[in-house]
Amino acid sequence: MMDTLDLLRTNAPLLLIGLRSTLYLAAVTLLASTAIGVFFGTLATLKPRWIRTLSALYVEVFRDIPLIVTIFAIFFGAPALGIPLEPFPAVALGLSLWGGANGAEIVRGGLQSIPHGQREAATALGLRLWKIYLLILWPQALRAMLPAFTGLLALIIQSTSLGALVGVTEFLKAGGLIIETSTVMRGVNPAFGIYAFVLLVYFAICSVLTWLSRRLERRLSLRGGGHAVRAPDAAGV
Amino acid sequence: MEFDLDYLRQQLPLLRAGLVVTIQVSAIAVVLSIAIGLVGAAVRVLRVPVLRQLFAGYVEVIRNTPLLVQIFFVFFGLPTLGLVLPIFWCGVLSLTLWAGAFQTENLRGGLSAVHRGLSEAARALGLSRFQYLRLVGLPLAVRISLPSILNTCVSLVKNSAYVSAIGLQDLSAVAFERIANDFRAFEMLSVLLVGYLALVLSLSFSVRALEHRLQAPFRR
Repeated sequence: MMDTLDLLRTNAPLLLIGLRSTLYLAAVTLLASTAIGVFFGTLATLKPRWIRTLSALYVEVFRDIPLIVTIFAIFFGAPALGIPLEPFPAVALGLSLWGGANGAEIVRGGLQSIPHGQREAATALGLRLWKIYLLILWPQALRAMLPAFTGLLALIIQSTSLGALVGVTEFLKAGGLIIETSTVMRGVNPAFGIYAFVLLVYFAICSVLTWLSRRLERRLSLRGGGHAVRAPDAAGV
Repeated sequence: MEFDLDYLRQQLPLLRAGLVVTIQVSAIAVVLSIAIGLVGAAVRVLRVPVLRQLFAGYVEVIRNTPLLVQIFFVFFGLPTLGLVLPIFWCGVLSLTLWAGAFQTENLRGGLSAVHRGLSEAARALGLSRFQYLRLVGLPLAVRISLPSILNTCVSLVKNSAYVSAIGLQDLSAVAFERIANDFRAFEMLSVLLVGYLALVLSLSFSVRALEHRLQAPFRR
C-alpha cells in the first residue's frame, strides 16, 4: 500500500502527462463527434428517404463495430493504403467516427423532440430550410441534447483508454509504464495498486460527468422544457 | 496490394477458431451477468442492508470506468494478489462483471415498473418478500426489461473484442495478429467488419423481432 503511494508520488509527472493526453484526446474527439453528430443527425431529419438511409447506415455501422476494431482498422489500414498516420490522430479519428455515430443519435433525438408546429410555422413564414435549422430547430434542440452530450463525454473519456493499445501515452498507458518499470527495476509488480488507482481516477472524472448529466436532465424536465434526449449508456453504444 | 481470396481461404480455420472463442466468452458472460443482475436487482429491491450499498457502488464503479481498464485490472492486477486465473476466464470474469452491472440496472428498472398492487397482493396472500420476488416480481421484471437486457447482451458480444487486448485469441485478436504478421490488412479488416456486423445485426434483429412478439397482446 505504502509502496504504491510512493510509486504514484515519484511518477506523478508521468501520470500528469498521461492525464493531459487523455483529456486532450477526449476534447478533440468531443469536438469532432459533435460536428459529425450534427451533420448526420440533421440528415436523419430531412425529407428525402435516401438521405435518411445514408445517415442510418453511418450510425449503424460505427455503433455495431467494436470500437477497438475501428481503431485498429484505421491504425493498420491507413499505412496499408499508403497514408502514414501517427497513433494519436489515428485514435482520435477512430474515436470521432464512433462518437459521431452516437452524437448523431442524440442530435436526431433532439431535433425530433421539437414540436412539428415549429417547423411548419417557420416554413409558413417563408424561411429557407437552412435558416429553419439554424434559427429555429438547432437552438431549441440544444437544450434537450445537453444532458446526453454530457453523458457522451463521459463515455468518450472512458474510450480514450483504447489509445494505450496503439501507443498513445494516455492515462492508462502511463499507469502501465509505471508497472513495467517497477517490475523490471525493483522486481516488485505493483499492477493491482496502480490499476486500482487508474480506475479510481477515471471513476472520479466520469462519475462527476454522469452526475451532471442526470442533474441537467432532471432540471430540464422540472422546468417544463420537455423531455431531454436519453444519455447514451456504455451498454448501449 | 489487391484483395487475395486464396489467402483468406487459408486463414479460415484460424478465424473460425477465433469466432468460436468470441462466442464462447460472450455466451458464458451473458449467462453469468444475468445471474448477477437477478441477484443485484433482488438485493436492491429487498433492501438487504450491506449488500444493497455494495451493489449500488459496484454498478457505479463499472458504469464510470473504462472496460479496458477493468480488463487490465483483472488480468494484471489480480495475479499480484495471488489470484491467478487462466486467460480465458480472465476475459469471462471481466466481461461478466461489466455486463452484470448493466443487467442489475436493467432488472431493477423492470422490478420498479411492476405494479405496486402486485407486491401488496402477494403480501396479503401471505407470501414472503423473497417468494414475491421469485414467483411474481422477477418473472414480470424480466419480461418488462427484456429489450434492455438483450441490448446489453448484444453490447456484450460486441465488446468481447476488448479481450483481444490481453491476448485472448478471439476473432479480433486472430485478425490483428495476422495483420501484424502477414501485412494483409484489407483481407483481415473486411473479415472483422463483416463478422461483427453480421453477429451484432443478426442479434439485434432477433431482439427487435422478440420485442415485437412480446408486445403482441398490447397491440390493437
